[in-house]
Amino acid sequence: MTYESQKVAIKYFVISAIFFGLQVVVGLLLILKYIWPDPLIGIIPFNTARAIHTNLLVVWMLFGFMGGTYYVVPEESKTELYSKKLADLQFWLLLIGGLVGVIGFLFGWTAGRPLLELPVELKWAVVIVALIFIFNVFMTMIRTKKWTAVQGLLLGGVVMLAVMWLFAIPFFKNLTFDYYYWWWVIHLWVEGAWELIAASLMAFILLKITGVERQIVEKWLYIEVALVLATGIIGTGHHYYWIGTPGYWLWWGGIFSALETVPIVLMVFDTLRHVKHRKIEIPDRLVLYWTIGCALFHFFGAAVMGMVHTLPQVNRWTHGTQVTASHGHLAFFGAYAMLILTVVYYALPKLKGISQYSQKRGFWVFWITVSMMLIMGLAFGVAGVIQSYMQRGLGIDFLTVQDFMKPWFFAVFIAGLGFFVGVLLYIIDVLKIATKKPE
Amino acid sequence: MEKKLARNLFIWATLICSAVFIWLTIDTHRAIPKRTNTDKLTDEAVLGKRVWHKYNCNDCHTILGIGGYYSPDVTKVYSTRGETWLKTFLKNPESPDPLRRKMPNQKLSDNEIKQLITFFKWVDAIDTNEWPPKPITVAKTTGDPLEETALILKGKAIYNQNRCDLCHQIGGKGGIIGPDLSKVGGKRDTQWLSRLIKDPKSVNPGTQMPAYLQLSEDEVQALASFLGGLK
Repeated sequence: MTYESQKVAIKYFVISAIFFGLQVVVGLLLILKYIWPDPLIGIIPFNTARAIHTNLLVVWMLFGFMGGTYYVVPEESKTELYSKKLADLQFWLLLIGGLVGVIGFLFGWTAGRPLLELPVELKWAVVIVALIFIFNVFMTMIRTKKWTAVQGLLLGGVVMLAVMWLFAIPFFKNLTFDYYYWWWVIHLWVEGAWELIAASLMAFILLKITGVERQIVEKWLYIEVALVLATGIIGTGHHYYWIGTPGYWLWWGGIFSALETVPIVLMVFDTLRHVKHRKIEIPDRLVLYWTIGCALFHFFGAAVMGMVHTLPQVNRWTHGTQVTASHGHLAFFGAYAMLILTVVYYALPKLKGISQYSQKRGFWVFWITVSMMLIMGLAFGVAGVIQSYMQRGLGIDFLTVQDFMKPWFFAVFIAGLGFFVGVLLYIIDVLKIATKKPE
Repeated sequence: MEKKLARNLFIWATLICSAVFIWLTIDTHRAIPKRTNTDKLTDEAVLGKRVWHKYNCNDCHTILGIGGYYSPDVTKVYSTRGETWLKTFLKNPESPDPLRRKMPNQKLSDNEIKQLITFFKWVDAIDTNEWPPKPITVAKTTGDPLEETALILKGKAIYNQNRCDLCHQIGGKGGIIGPDLSKVGGKRDTQWLSRLIKDPKSVNPGTQMPAYLQLSEDEVQALASFLGGLK
């Protein structure tokens, strides 16, 4: 850490970790509902719990990205943040907005669109938060003497994030248009805006820990995001197979989403190459583990598991089954959760001026969350294959098939419990580092 | 490759792919009205969509395959269940079977139910490129009826409440005093079955089975439909 104002990131990281924990608790409730006739059905029915689970995910990841951005931008721009006050204000707005949203869900205050359940008033509040954030980041960046690719792409990512969000706001009369633009938020966030932010943050960390020349790291960053957007934008088409959109999307979506694996493979090679050709020793083993683990899990969860059911011939049978839940969990964890944890484990000790601390717990977090998420994702996957085969292939009634999937839901629950332990350790770690006195 | 070249690649690739995507979007906009029959998208259907959102149905059920995976997809629910079934079910969705996943009663007004059904009817006709696919072959598990109408589910509940399983088996579960009923629907029709339930001796003079006179005519019909569905 070189700039005082970077410290604003600390509270973003702390809240991000706590919301992560809450998300997992609600996740455990959700899977229990699958196993045993619906605990807490009267208070938190499945739909409410799912809305909370997914929105908490988005909120904790936004906290993570924003904290990461506030850490990186001053250092890249070689200046203090434009306004620490605005960063504080924006933090509180997002926190209050998030809490109001979650509590609102419990009382049925919802827009009723999956993942975009926030009522329209709160959606506008998110726009305000995003504008403050972009303004603050932009005003900091223009003080810079030399624009870097990391800055530019980070700014591009947050602007794209805000612009795409606008499609979440209107009410669509036609369900097909509704979902057409729904994916402009969901898909173009996770396979567009978020990738830009994530790739820039990762490039920054690689730059710092490996000491490889900026020219090289940024060159590969450009190639990577070029491929991400070139394949990802039209790749949105893999969501347009069965929603009332024309048949040519089966071709556009099928081909471009198959190509979406290319940038991720490249990213794995990039990461490994930078680490191999490092110019300085990497004393922080934990950050190194998270960095490489993130690249590998990103590849497995997003690229492999996505590829498995993205072709129309397969997707026809697996669409709308637990196969999607499997891919969703693995991809989000590998691509974004692990990235945010990498950023936090890199930045938080530096923000506190701690150069050495026991990383034992951090390694436990790594191995527990990674292994448990693997089991969870695979168990969802098996459940999904059973469902695709029996329900879609053999035409057996939905609820009858759910009974056959129960053992795998049980496996998800057990792995979920393990995962929760990992996340608890992570929260403890974050709180311990965040409250530590500087050396 | 130099960094500058990589940057230009990024800019051009993004611009070109965005342009193609927007072009496809414009064309999709042209095609959707016909594929989704927007002329039939009446105010009532739109109100139905608002009901769908209001109760957050989509976080349990999928529609067009999107949403929560907790409950059945409703894309084709209008044509598979029919209007009467939907009306009855939406009025009181709580399954009579305590072991089954249960939909909480949303306490919809009659008007909301009507609007929601109109919405489902419109969704049912969307050209989805033939999704959901027709099953390769229709299989069934022993002891489960092929169809699950409200009547059949009610019949199943009556079967359980009256402990028919003390004497009869379905799918390997139950007693052995009476005949196995796992495939009874293949041999007997519902009329014969309802006669038997009301007065067993009228169809089989030597039987030990008691007459179930306490069941109402509706209940007998439901039970007979459930048994008749076991094939």
